Amino acid sequence: MLGQQILSGLATGSLYALTAIAVVVVFRNTRTINLAQGDFAMIGAFLGIIFLKDWGLNYFAMLLLVVASCMFLGAFVERVIMRPVADSDWLTLFTTTIGVYYILHGFAGWIWGRDTKAFPVSFDPTPVELFGALVSKGHLYNMGIALLIGGVLWWFFTKTKQGIAMRAVTDDPETAHLMGIPVKFIVTLTWCMAGAIAGFIGVLMAPIIYVSPEMMDEILIKGYVAAVFGGLYSFRGAVIGALMIGVAENLAGGYLGSHYKTSVAFIMIVVLLAFRPQGLMGIQQRREI
Amino acid sequence: MDAHKDNSPTAQDSQTDLPRNRTQAVRDLKRRFMRNDILFSALFFLAMLAAPLFPDVKGWMLSQASLVIIYIIAAMGVLVLVGFTGLVSVGHGGFLAIGAYTSALLTLHLNVDLVVGIVAGMAMAGLIGAVLALIFLRLSGAFMAIGTLGFAFFVGTILNNVPFFQGRDGILLDANHVLGIEIGDHGFYYVSTICLVLVTLFVFALVNSGTGRAFMALRDAEKAAMASGVNRLKYRTLAFTLSAAITGIAGALNAHVVNYVSAEVFADIWYSVDILMAVVVGGSTVIFGPFLGGFFVVMLPFFFEQLADFSFILKGVVLILVLRFAPAGIMELLVRPLKNARRRRLRKIGGSMAAEEAE
Repeated sequence: MLGQQILSGLATGSLYALTAIAVVVVFRNTRTINLAQGDFAMIGAFLGIIFLKDWGLNYFAMLLLVVASCMFLGAFVERVIMRPVADSDWLTLFTTTIGVYYILHGFAGWIWGRDTKAFPVSFDPTPVELFGALVSKGHLYNMGIALLIGGVLWWFFTKTKQGIAMRAVTDDPETAHLMGIPVKFIVTLTWCMAGAIAGFIGVLMAPIIYVSPEMMDEILIKGYVAAVFGGLYSFRGAVIGALMIGVAENLAGGYLGSHYKTSVAFIMIVVLLAFRPQGLMGIQQRREI
Repeated sequence: MDAHKDNSPTAQDSQTDLPRNRTQAVRDLKRRFMRNDILFSALFFLAMLAAPLFPDVKGWMLSQASLVIIYIIAAMGVLVLVGFTGLVSVGHGGFLAIGAYTSALLTLHLNVDLVVGIVAGMAMAGLIGAVLALIFLRLSGAFMAIGTLGFAFFVGTILNNVPFFQGRDGILLDANHVLGIEIGDHGFYYVSTICLVLVTLFVFALVNSGTGRAFMALRDAEKAAMASGVNRLKYRTLAFTLSAAITGIAGALNAHVVNYVSAEVFADIWYSVDILMAVVVGGSTVIFGPFLGGFFVVMLPFFFEQLADFSFILKGVVLILVLRFAPAGIMELLVRPLKNARRRRLRKIGGSMAAEEAE
C-alpha cells in the first residue's frame, strides 16, 4: 500500500517536475515567471485531439507535431510579446505573461469551447508489478517519458554548445554577449524549450485530467511551488521538490482523504519557506529581484 | 526629470536663496493645487452619491456599479502593497474570500448587521494577513508572488472541500440590513460608495503620512531606508496587514452584493490575478489608478457578455499593450500632462527645487 502510494506519487511528481523545469528554464534566462506555461500545454492537448481525431495521425506523429507546434508557440510569444518588454522589471514581465495567459485561455475557449473533452488516447490503468508494488501502465509510461526528457535536457545542458551557451547566459548575460554568444537567440531558444516541454506535458496529462481551457491551472501552481523549492534557479531542487510534492500529495490523499490532497503543496511551501527562504537546495539568489 | 536638465545658474541659486515672498508664492500655489485635487475628488464622489437619484437608473445598474466599486476597493488594497510598498501579491483573492466568508457566515449564523459584517471581514482578513506577512515577507519579489499565489490556491481548496463552507453549493443569505433597516440595491450602492470614500481617504492619508513615506522609502531604497532607522519588518508587516484588511472590506461587500457566496466564485485563483491586473492597468503609482482598472476589469466582460472568451482575449491584449506603451498604467498617462503643467508653473515661480518637491 505504502510503496504503491509512493510510486504513483512519483509518477504524478515527474509531470510536476517537467512543469517546474520549464518554469525554471524561463526564469533563469529571462527573469520571467511564465504564467502562460500551463496554457502552452493546454493548447498542446487541444492540438493533440485535432491531430488524432481529425487528421487521423498515430500517437507518435501526433506527439511530435504537438511538441513542434508548442515550440513554435513559445518562440512566437517570445518574439512578438515578450521581447519588446524584455528590459522591464520582473513585475512587468510577469504581468505580461498574465496577458498571454488571458489571450491563450480566451482563444482556446473561443475555438474549442469551455466543456471538458476526453482525450482520444485513454489512460492505461492495467497494473504492473514493480519493486513489489502495483503501478498502472499509464503512470509507468509517463514516468518513462519524463525520465527520457530529463535525460535529454541533461545532455543538452552539459554536452551541447547551445546548452552551455544557455547556461552562460543564465550566469552572466553581458559577458556571454561579449564572448559572442547570441543572447537574443538563446532567449528565443529558452522559450522554445519551455514550449516543447509544455507540449509533452499536455499530451501526457490529457488522458488523466481531460482537456479543457482550465486543465493546467492546478498543475501549473504545483510546478511553481516545486520551482520555488529549487530557489527558482536549480533544476535539481525543482525536480526533488516536484517529486516530494507528488508523493506527499498522494500520501495525504491516501491516508487523510482526497480533500486534503491539493492543500499539501501550499503547506509544504509554507513550511519550507519558513525555514529556508532561499529554497531547498540552498542556492543563494544570484540576482536582485 | 526635466528639472535636472535645467542647470541655469538661477535655477541652482534659487535652492538656497529663495526670497521670502517667492517661498510664500510657491507655498500658496501648492496649497491651491492641493485644494483643487480635494475639490475634484469631492465632486467626483458627490456625483457618485447623486447618480442613483436620476430617474432612469435601474437596480441592476446599481448592483453592477457596486461590483465595480468592490473591485476598486480590492485593488486599493493591492495598491498599498504593490504601488507604495513595492511588494507583489498575487494572492489577494484569498483575502477577498476570507472577508466574504467571514461576513457571510456571521450573517448566516448570527444574523449580524451588514456594517458589522464588513468590519468583521476586514478584521479577519487583516488578522490572517498579519500572520501570513510573517511568512511571505521572508521572500522577495518573484518568490513572494508564487507564495501568495499558493495561498490563494490553498484558500480555494479549503472552501471547496471543508464542509463548513458548503463548497460549490454556496451559502444563500437574507436581504441586507443596515442598523436594522432592510436595504435594496440603492442602499447597497450607498454603503459600498461610502466604503470606497473611506478607503480612498484612508489610503490618501496613509500615503501622505510618515508611515506611507516609510513604505515608499523601503520600496525605493531599502538599504538606505533601513540605515536611516526605518524598521523594515514592522513597516512591511503593517503594509501587508492594511492591504489584506482593505481587500477584506471588498470581500465582505462582495458576499452581500448578490447575497450569495460559493466556492465556484471565490475559489478561483484568477480572481487574484484580476485584482492585480486592475492595479497594473489602472496605474500603480496614483491613487485613482485602481478606479480606472477596476472599471476596466469588471465592465469589459459585462460589455461582451455573449462573447466571454473574446473578452478574455481583449483583456490580454489590453494588458500587454498597456504594459508596453504605458508601463505605469493608463491613469498615470492621463495625469502626466497635468503634473507637467503644474511643475512648469511651479518652476516659473520658485525655481527647480520647488518643482522637484512637487513630484
